[in-house]
Amino acid sequence: MNRKKFRLLALMGCALSASNYIAAQPQTPAPAAAAPAAESRNVSEWLMRMHEASRNRSSYIGTFVVSSGGVMSSAKIWHVCDGTQQMERVDTLTGPPRSTFRHNDQVVTFMPEHKLVRTEKRASLGLFPELLKSTSSHIGDFYEARQEGRERVAGVDTDVIALVPKDGMRFGYRVWAEQKKGLVVKLQTLDADGKVLEQSAFSELQFDAPVKIEKLTQMMNKVEGYRVEKSGLVKTTASAEGWALQKPVAGFQPISCHKRPRAAQSGDAPMQWVFSDGLASVSIFVEPFDVQRHLTESRMAMGATQSLTRRMDAYWLTVMGEVPPATLSLFADGLERKK
Amino acid sequence: MNTMKPTKQNREWISALADGQLVGENFASVLAACETDEDALSSWSTYHLIGDVLRSPELAPQTPDTAFVMRLRARLAQEPALDARGVVVGVPAGALAASPMSAGVSREASNDSNFRWKLVAGFASIAAVVAVAWSAGSGLLSPPAAPQLARSTPSQQVLVMSEQGPMVRDARLQELLAEHKQFGAASALQMPSGFLRNATFGPPQGERR
Repeated sequence: MNRKKFRLLALMGCALSASNYIAAQPQTPAPAAAAPAAESRNVSEWLMRMHEASRNRSSYIGTFVVSSGGVMSSAKIWHVCDGTQQMERVDTLTGPPRSTFRHNDQVVTFMPEHKLVRTEKRASLGLFPELLKSTSSHIGDFYEARQEGRERVAGVDTDVIALVPKDGMRFGYRVWAEQKKGLVVKLQTLDADGKVLEQSAFSELQFDAPVKIEKLTQMMNKVEGYRVEKSGLVKTTASAEGWALQKPVAGFQPISCHKRPRAAQSGDAPMQWVFSDGLASVSIFVEPFDVQRHLTESRMAMGATQSLTRRMDAYWLTVMGEVPPATLSLFADGLERKK
Repeated sequence: MNTMKPTKQNREWISALADGQLVGENFASVLAACETDEDALSSWSTYHLIGDVLRSPELAPQTPDTAFVMRLRARLAQEPALDARGVVVGVPAGALAASPMSAGVSREASNDSNFRWKLVAGFASIAAVVAVAWSAGSGLLSPPAAPQLARSTPSQQVLVMSEQGPMVRDARLQELLAEHKQFGAASALQMPSGFLRNATFGPPQGERR
């Protein structure tokens, strides 16, 4: 009897010390020498795979649902890629009808109710691989990828990956990426407590759907009966505008800066200065202070996007981004007027 | 001619006569009766008076003939509750209003003596006061907006649907949000999720400058 008990205790003791030993191993966030098995990709690898999937998956049709701040919107999606060019069509199913066509980084938005078509070139869409290269060393410093299991979403088997922030200055994400090619089927933005701030997901998805690039291109160019508006952007730099971020916020790199040319009566167009840490982005809008329009400093939460407005001498700042409010304060505090 | 008619029948015919509704043989006989029978004649006067007063109050005698009124009241008290003309419902207001001796005329509600009705009236008035106060009070309470609702410019307000119901948002902020989403969304998660998200969940109004 005694010996049995003793052996049991010894066994437990061994198990405990073994588990202690294992737990004591330092966690390597971006294992440089890790074997590239499916389960142990690092953050950059996961992201690259997700990005490539929209090229590797030649075509799909689905219904996309976005839930932000308690409000839900859905749209029908057509996607086709023929290796070099990508085309997408998004038709909103909620709210005023709107059809958005994308051909690589050219975006055309049809608004039937207003008989208006807006065309623009969105530099940020072609940005990703460069973004990854420039910030690849940084994304891993600030986020960690953890595989959390497998789930079936929209009829598709997916890997669940958590992108966990390493500090409190950014939000976390949970990504459901299709197992075969890595297409993101569902995405959640989480705050520090793990609460879902925003979720966007395919509610149904059909791969290898009969979508033709020619057909979509034809639709995209059908602008008869519509008023065409070309959105102009004037690229500039923050320093040329006389601004600098004296205290940079960890992980966030300046990405671009531009002004929108506007009609004279609406006053100066705000300068938009965009920062990103690879996953989250922050925009600082600076415009001249107008005592009639800019009455109160405020903070708002619109789904995952937080915003902050503040007066700074003769200027009015609006800082907006998918980051915690404290991070917005850091940006606002660090901004300085040169010249 | 038979003048000995039953009194009730007589009165009815006399009241009909006063109304001008009596015709033919009855008319003649009643007239004859009035000539001979004093009772009939006084009945006729009475009915006439009542009729006149009911139809036009200003015809009521300004200087009340007290004795006559007393006699009238006595006679009316004797009348059955429902006469052929339904005259006896209450004392004709016109006739008695002029009389200072209208001790019996009560301005009170007829159900005043019933305590139950007083109670009901009391509750009804209380309920009315509460209802008015409730609607006024709830108007004073501010709507339960989210704690982060901006107290921003009164001009340029935009109504946006949110889980708290329609919320008013600064139109300018909505514009900037749209620009942030379009040109500021530099994220590795842009493709496809970011782009699709923004194309699906776009701004509430289509017109932007």
